[in-house]
Amino acid sequence: MLIANDIHVRLGHKEILRGVTTSFAPAQVSVIVGPNGSGKTTLLRALTAELPCAGQITLNGHDIRATPAWKLAAIRAVLPQSTVLTFPFTVAEVVRLGQMGGIGAGGPDRTVEALNRVGLQSYGERFYSDLSGGEQQRVQLARVLLQVWRPVGPDGSPRWLILDEPVSSLDIGHQLMVMQIARDFADQGGGVVAVMHDLNLSAMFADHMVLMRNGRIAVQGLVREVLVDHHLSAAYGCGLRVGVTPPEQPLFVLPQAALTED
Amino acid sequence: MRWLALIALLPTGVAAQETPRVLSLGGAVTEIVYALGAGEALVGRDQTSTYPAQAEALLDVGYVRRLSPEGILSVDPTLILAEAGAGPAETVTLMEGAGVPWITIPGGYDADTVPAKVHAVADALGLQEQGDALAAELTQQLADAQAAAPDQPLKVMFVMSLQAGRVMAAGQDTAANGMITLAGAQNAITSFDGYKQLTDEAILTAAPDVILMMAQAGDHAVTNADLQAHPALGATPAAQNEAVIRMDGMYLLGFGPRTPAAIRDLSARLSALQPEAG
Amino acid sequence: MVAYADSIAPRRAIALRVRGWLWVALIASCILSLTTGATGVTLWDALVALLTPAELPLSSKVVLWDIRLPRMLMAMVVGASLAVSGAVMQGLFRNPLADPGIVGVSAGAGTGAVVAIVLGGAMPFAALGPWLVPVAAAAGAWATIMVLYLIATRRGVTAIATLLLAGIAIAALAGALSGVLIYAADDTQLRDLTFWGLGSLAGATWTKLLAAGPLMLAGLACARPLARGLNGLALGEAAAHHIGLPVQRLKRLAILSTAAATGAAVAVSGGIGFVGIVVPHLLRLISGPDHEELLPNAALMGASLLLLADLISRVIVAPAELPIGIVTATLGGPFFLWLLLRGRTFGGL
Repeated sequence: MLIANDIHVRLGHKEILRGVTTSFAPAQVSVIVGPNGSGKTTLLRALTAELPCAGQITLNGHDIRATPAWKLAAIRAVLPQSTVLTFPFTVAEVVRLGQMGGIGAGGPDRTVEALNRVGLQSYGERFYSDLSGGEQQRVQLARVLLQVWRPVGPDGSPRWLILDEPVSSLDIGHQLMVMQIARDFADQGGGVVAVMHDLNLSAMFADHMVLMRNGRIAVQGLVREVLVDHHLSAAYGCGLRVGVTPPEQPLFVLPQAALTED
Repeated sequence: MRWLALIALLPTGVAAQETPRVLSLGGAVTEIVYALGAGEALVGRDQTSTYPAQAEALLDVGYVRRLSPEGILSVDPTLILAEAGAGPAETVTLMEGAGVPWITIPGGYDADTVPAKVHAVADALGLQEQGDALAAELTQQLADAQAAAPDQPLKVMFVMSLQAGRVMAAGQDTAANGMITLAGAQNAITSFDGYKQLTDEAILTAAPDVILMMAQAGDHAVTNADLQAHPALGATPAAQNEAVIRMDGMYLLGFGPRTPAAIRDLSARLSALQPEAG
Repeated sequence: MVAYADSIAPRRAIALRVRGWLWVALIASCILSLTTGATGVTLWDALVALLTPAELPLSSKVVLWDIRLPRMLMAMVVGASLAVSGAVMQGLFRNPLADPGIVGVSAGAGTGAVVAIVLGGAMPFAALGPWLVPVAAAAGAWATIMVLYLIATRRGVTAIATLLLAGIAIAALAGALSGVLIYAADDTQLRDLTFWGLGSLAGATWTKLLAAGPLMLAGLACARPLARGLNGLALGEAAAHHIGLPVQRLKRLAILSTAAATGAAVAVSGGIGFVGIVVPHLLRLISGPDHEELLPNAALMGASLLLLADLISRVIVAPAELPIGIVTATLGGPFFLWLLLRGRTFGGL
């Protein structure tokens, strides 16, 4: 489990997170959604110990702030929104960095396999900085996958992928590809926590949803519990209507300019 | 210790059997060596040793404060005569290690400096007699030159350089100050020691009657027009009256055998300006 | 595995081949450095000196043992220190233009030297004699690093941007302090300052080498295990932490290593520019940015480069000597401009 208990984050005088308590279960895709500035990314950065915060966060029972980086790296990998490299690293060299810490260290080289997973098998020799933003994002995903590799550790404890807007710069085909990778990881027992903008993709792939508003959690629970017209309309401050696509019943969200909150 | 033995072997005069190979560091030192008649013993010189003309033919080991130890050894000297301030210290130490004696010739900026230098150089070369004679002659010349230099109520400013409008002038405890005093005038700058940049206000306050400069050729030459164009210098009595004296740098500031002549020269040129400047 | 060999092995292989050539270059430079100089002492004399020291005239022995040998070693260790410090700083700041000069280490060292030269007579340390300037320069470098660290580190986190900006501010402050002191300097001191600023290895003696050498070697030794971490740091501080690197410890060690190596190098050799920026750039162009290859290669190349620059400085105006900083700037300046132009054309260095 990834558990956050009463998390507060301040930046200067502004309190960005105002008491967030939530938990994420393994074998599920959990998404954090909410309007801009609601604190989604801040929550994610607190969950990865990137930001100092008040409150307690535990990952598989380890207090993340008391656990050394190498130990955390072996059980969870983090995909940043975007990564700019100043030096001329090749794609293969970037992916291989995933194997530096974590469980991959010292093991067999899985760079090519990881690149295969994200559909970039022939890109190993190219310079990372020559790739498009979307391709770079997938290279980083390959690196992140290489870091944890198997969704479940040898002791049966889950490993985690923490993804910050993993599909933000991808075309629709690759959006589906990346979300499917996350889905597969969860289906095999790993935990996935992703910050998402796209409510429809979230509805399609996620099990659990956290809707943020003003540094607090507005609603959390199963996707169908959160994706409700009035929750969304209140959180986003605009008219939104949730529909159902038959027959497999993923929900979809349509903006409704004419609608107002009732 | 080898040089002591060498000097012991040569009670008077230069080398009967073994001529020392002398490296002279400092323009005045080189001049003294030549004045003592020991010029043929010289094998090398520093950048400032350009007088007499034969000195120019010697190997130049560079700037006197940044001497390369191997550069010095490459002229294979058996004796090094160096003006005060020659170095760096590491080089001096290495020369001692290499068995080449390093004799520092004392500096200073008054009438006693010249004979003191002569004695030091002569002692090092084992030429005490010639040294005594030269020192006595120069002491006499200096006394004559000073006697001939009337006290003149002139404030003289020595301008070392005028670069990008910044004036570097001589304060107290400088060769220029020494020469101005010996020539019977006053240094216009009394507030600091050494050479420093002056602010425009300091120049106006100093209000020199005469500007003294080193004669320089080519692009570095500063013309009277340059001086008059300077906002502060241009307003001084010296610039307005074109009371500017230019003299060769080593001749004027060397404190060597030519110093008595330089004093007479400077004094005469100051006197020549007197009616205008006064 | 085939694709892996295709993708990574070439650059590794190039880097290893480059290292081989750099060793050859270093050995050749050492021999050249030992056997060339204003005096006619030759390789043969050097062999004689090694085998039967008694047969050599005293001055030749001094030239070989007390002048050329310590100078050769000094050039090697200073060159390696400057090049490796440059590579480490660039990795740490993820900025290919970063250099110990940028975080103010050189400026701090320079101010230490100026203080020593100008106020040396008045200070109680006058007893240090010829040691005063190098010791003060090293102290200045250390003090700068410590102040930077205090300013830029909050709750154990060093913000790189703050560090860079603080470095710029401190360099400006140090420059101002130097300026004030230079104004107070007399003529003799001014000349010393000018020449110290240009840089030279002319003062290389066994005593200096034994005092400053270990400090530089310690800095280099600390840099070597940083290589993997610096690779990870290329992803950014947060990502480096996420892949399991002890980022704070890494940064602290990188800073200490650079302070030691650069401080000591600047102290004994003055301002020798461009080595720390040109060498890592050139190596990245040839064999990639992997620090595991870059750092050892930079040490070798920096050592060779400085040996050759020193050789030029010693022979070009012999028996006088050109400050080595002029040589490295003359070689490095145009080269660096070329790198920048090239970088602009091909999108990133």
